[in-house]
Amino acid sequence: MPDAGARVRELRALESLAAGRTAVHRLHPLAKLVASLVFIVTVASYGRYDFIRAAPYLFYPFIMMALSESPYKLLLSRVLIALPFCLFAGITNAILDTTAAFTLGGVTVSLGIVSLATIMLKMYLCVMAALILVATTPLTELTAQLRRMRAPSVFVMVFEMTYRYVGVLLEEVRSMIIAYRLRSGKKKALEMKHMGSFAGHLLLRGFDRAERVHAAMCCRGYSLKHIPPARRRIKPSDIIVMLIVCVPSVLLRVVPLY
Amino acid sequence: MLRVSNLSVEYADGTRAIEDLSFSIEAGESVALIGANGAGKTTLLLAIVGVLPPIAGEISLHSSAAGPDEQKNAPAQAARGAVKPELVLTQRTGKDTLRELRARVGVVFQNPDDQLFMPGIYEDVAFGPRSFGIEEAETVQRVDAALSSLGIAHLADRSPLKLSGGEKRLAAIATVLAMKPDLLLFDEPTAYLDPRAKRNLAQIVSGLPQGKLIATHDMAFAAETCSRVLLIREGSVMEDGPRDILFNARKLEAAGL
Repeated sequence: MPDAGARVRELRALESLAAGRTAVHRLHPLAKLVASLVFIVTVASYGRYDFIRAAPYLFYPFIMMALSESPYKLLLSRVLIALPFCLFAGITNAILDTTAAFTLGGVTVSLGIVSLATIMLKMYLCVMAALILVATTPLTELTAQLRRMRAPSVFVMVFEMTYRYVGVLLEEVRSMIIAYRLRSGKKKALEMKHMGSFAGHLLLRGFDRAERVHAAMCCRGYSLKHIPPARRRIKPSDIIVMLIVCVPSVLLRVVPLY
Repeated sequence: MLRVSNLSVEYADGTRAIEDLSFSIEAGESVALIGANGAGKTTLLLAIVGVLPPIAGEISLHSSAAGPDEQKNAPAQAARGAVKPELVLTQRTGKDTLRELRARVGVVFQNPDDQLFMPGIYEDVAFGPRSFGIEEAETVQRVDAALSSLGIAHLADRSPLKLSGGEKRLAAIATVLAMKPDLLLFDEPTAYLDPRAKRNLAQIVSGLPQGKLIATHDMAFAAETCSRVLLIREGSVMEDGPRDILFNARKLEAAGL
């Protein structure tokens, strides 16, 4: 199992990025949330062979990362986690759809390959947009804004709890692995015969720990139904930035440039 | 200030954790809750704030200013907002009352890692006031005051992962103080602390003006911080009296200690 402690640190690093003070961080959460949602929906709406048409959207993550001073390495490494899933989804297209699309330097590229590339590009853009949003907006502000927008409370809770408890679960994995290694002699990895018991204990311990953290949150006023008041009003400058992202994104999708 | 009357609490599997338990705490009073492992100390603390609902009995919280003299002037004080309304927690208590109760009773958990769940200490201390809808300017003021009063203002921008056990404990207390509670509940506050950190904590806890209920196995800490002792066994009160109980080996042994 990879170093769970490192995963916890990465998760916390992403959270600590949200405490930055750049212009992007200072934007109202509503503006960032709407801009990200419009961007993601627009990108996701492209067809399976629209690689070239979707390519100009690559500017967005790079511009936002530069403006928010987010570390490229950290965000890109997070995107790689989603890579295998998209690869599995797109690889069948590459194998089954062998119709020639175009020839590049004497090599014929099939529609299946174009489709695979488009899926990968769309995945990259959508995940990056979501990561940039999380890296520039504190989770509490984000979920509070979702509640103010009357997003389904179950959706907000799942988002909040998953984000909060992934760290809790990883911390439990770390301490269990340390305890296992200290008593397992020369064996470095977890043995298959112990996997079931390990996973069962992890589930129960994670559940127990999550209950305690949840109790601590409730004791300090956390409530699913409570809609927190806005800490500040949205300003015209926030709306302008939101439009700067939304309008070109939608225009690029609606008006075919090539 | 706090009155617990005939309280009974059951776990989800039907185990009776607290049985017909009654006691009260006056404003500013410090009470040690002593009992063996599994006696029901943590369960009682969680029941007081409604995390574990009672199956019988009630818990009531009066305003900290509601002494005999103040009670005469209660209507006038209530009109000025000086006297907070009495809150009663029973089986059928609504969510609004529960929320109000949690704003007035702060719980410091045994493991500070359970309590510190935000990326930074400042955010963590601000979590309570923000959840209760306190204005941002006042939240900032409260967070600064809570951190400064415990001498940990320099930790505001640090991650909880980078703190020592003693620092985490103080940060956990700050998260509760920022809510300006009338009553503080401590669950094993000296757990994971070295002797020096314990002494420091005892000084800090003694200096807090709120009423306190401190569940602990640490007799020296209890003797230093509390004037009264509540000895419990199997979810029921065995003894309720002055701190001399802490030095009575026969009574402690009878409580399973």
